Amino acid sequence: MQEMKQVSLYVGRLRLPVLPQAPVLGLGHFGQGLAVLMVSLMCLFAWLAAPKAVEHWRWMDIAGEGGMALMAGVWLVQVRSSRPAGRVTSLLCLGLASVLLGQWVDLLDEFWVLPKAVIWDNWLESTLVPLGTLLLTWGLHHWRHEQQSLTAQMLKRERLFREHRSLDGVTQLGDARYLAAQIAIEQRLHQPAALAMLGLDGFDAVARTQGLAESDRLLQAASHLLLLNLRPDDLLCRYAADRFCVLMPGLQAGEAQARAEHLRQALSMLAHHTRAGTPLQLPARSAVAAVDAREAPDAQLLALARRLAEAP
Amino acid sequence: MSLPLQALCASAGAPVYEIGSRCLPWDHQAALVLEFARSREVDVSELLADCQLQAGSLLSPQQLLALLAALQRALPSPDTPFVLGQLSLPGPTGLASQALAQAGSLYEALQTLVNYAARLSPLLTPRWFQHGDELIVLWTAACGVGAAQRSFVVDMQMSALTGVCQWLGGERLPWRYCFNRTRPRDISQQAVYLGHSLQFDCHVDAMRLPASHLHRPWRQAAAAHPGNFAALSLERGADVGARGRGLLAAIYDHLLPRYREAPGLDEVAEAFGLSSATLKRRLALHGTHYQAELDLVRTHVALYLLLLQGCSNDAVAAELGFHDRNNFRRSFKRWTGLAPSLVG
Repeated sequence: MQEMKQVSLYVGRLRLPVLPQAPVLGLGHFGQGLAVLMVSLMCLFAWLAAPKAVEHWRWMDIAGEGGMALMAGVWLVQVRSSRPAGRVTSLLCLGLASVLLGQWVDLLDEFWVLPKAVIWDNWLESTLVPLGTLLLTWGLHHWRHEQQSLTAQMLKRERLFREHRSLDGVTQLGDARYLAAQIAIEQRLHQPAALAMLGLDGFDAVARTQGLAESDRLLQAASHLLLLNLRPDDLLCRYAADRFCVLMPGLQAGEAQARAEHLRQALSMLAHHTRAGTPLQLPARSAVAAVDAREAPDAQLLALARRLAEAP
Repeated sequence: MSLPLQALCASAGAPVYEIGSRCLPWDHQAALVLEFARSREVDVSELLADCQLQAGSLLSPQQLLALLAALQRALPSPDTPFVLGQLSLPGPTGLASQALAQAGSLYEALQTLVNYAARLSPLLTPRWFQHGDELIVLWTAACGVGAAQRSFVVDMQMSALTGVCQWLGGERLPWRYCFNRTRPRDISQQAVYLGHSLQFDCHVDAMRLPASHLHRPWRQAAAAHPGNFAALSLERGADVGARGRGLLAAIYDHLLPRYREAPGLDEVAEAFGLSSATLKRRLALHGTHYQAELDLVRTHVALYLLLLQGCSNDAVAAELGFHDRNNFRRSFKRWTGLAPSLVG
């Protein structure tokens, strides 16, 4: 999924975020179109209908219907700003737009009384909202399929629960806190599990000699390589700097040792080429520990990181 | 029982910079922050707009802090201070950076860092002294850092010194770290970027190392640089601003030798050529007040005597000019939140 940058609009010293909106059905100006439609509907009401006196306004209905329309609008903006363009986005947005229009007509009804002969407003009110919910449901159905294929890609990077705040920005792996939470789950399950930590010797010199962007790319390459060498049940996290940690559920220490050695060799063989074409091949080191059922997860990780640092 | 004052304080007469003084060249710390932001895909113009800065010319410590705060907001990743720190020394340009890059041993590196802190560590002033077979680097505020940014700046500078020693010396030194804060929940970044000997709730931010590392020649020093010309020209006064001290660091320099007399605000103001009202106002601008600075110095002296010299409470009380032990106990409790007997 391509990342959309957040743009801000400055009004004096005030900073307002402007969320970039994905096109719907290929229309970049979907929102403006919708707004024009809403204004035309209002003009139509003002032209055809008689305004209600203020004392006949039913405030509860106005708040309810207006609030619903407002919320549908907010959801529409959020969906468009958080998803790439495509079928699922178009369906969700059309559904929300339809709900929004239905509620809008409902709301306009509170301010104007249309002549009895006019029936299109009833027709709009009673079709737009159900149509919108149908479109939304259909969109959500496709979203589930889309999510299944995305989850397959996230395998070995996350398990059991998702926490986007614990995601490392460089490698898109979970961080130390995410890993500690996963170890805690493993402890509650009372099953054997092992931890392997891997690191690259001389990694800190890479940023100095090749630049920070290259050292980040090296970390990304290393994380991809490790992911390719993991079992489906394993979880890879970035502990800190060049220290990667693998949680291997169901493994005894002996098997874990062999797996870690395999990963260490794979990492040592990685010859990452910088954009300038310089090959970077760093020796890797590894340390393994069985997950202790009682010790605090972050203390176990610290002890493992210490053993890795002191490893020959 | 004498304090290593010469090592800890800059000689009088160094130029003083304040939190609003535009004294930092753009092409060192600020350029590094922008470079870091760019490589982590943060919009640099957004970042500058967020802290209302314009690229180029000189900036003040306050502006550098604002830039760091904006970076933290744009990129709240826990490794930011450590990576920034690692890359900040010896630094890209300037005589002080060149002199540091050519240091032939830890001793030379520390001397360069401490003497030219205005260029190499303008937010946090490093001081170092040797105690027996151990060397201790103490970090004190140069111009004051808000509580919200204090940890960030301390992590950054500790990572900078650790990193530059490893880079120039070719090996990781077994530093031990003391932090003046409670232990955070997650210390994975500190453990990997700094080292595994981490101590929290220490009342000082300091780094300790066996003194045997001080004079070991560093790998690159030998043949490549027959003479450290940058260091020579700095000694001859080629960059006067490099010897600058932040206002709070300068006050610390002034108060430390006078820890026993505990001079009042008026005396210090006079020594700095200011009226006491002006000094009071300037200290407020730096987020502090005179008594806090005096207490800080006297806390450091008390900790030095208690922990490093192993003095008794009575001896420390007498040394600090308290009439009796109970007064000292009360004051110490106010400074650190702990009774003297519980520190250690």
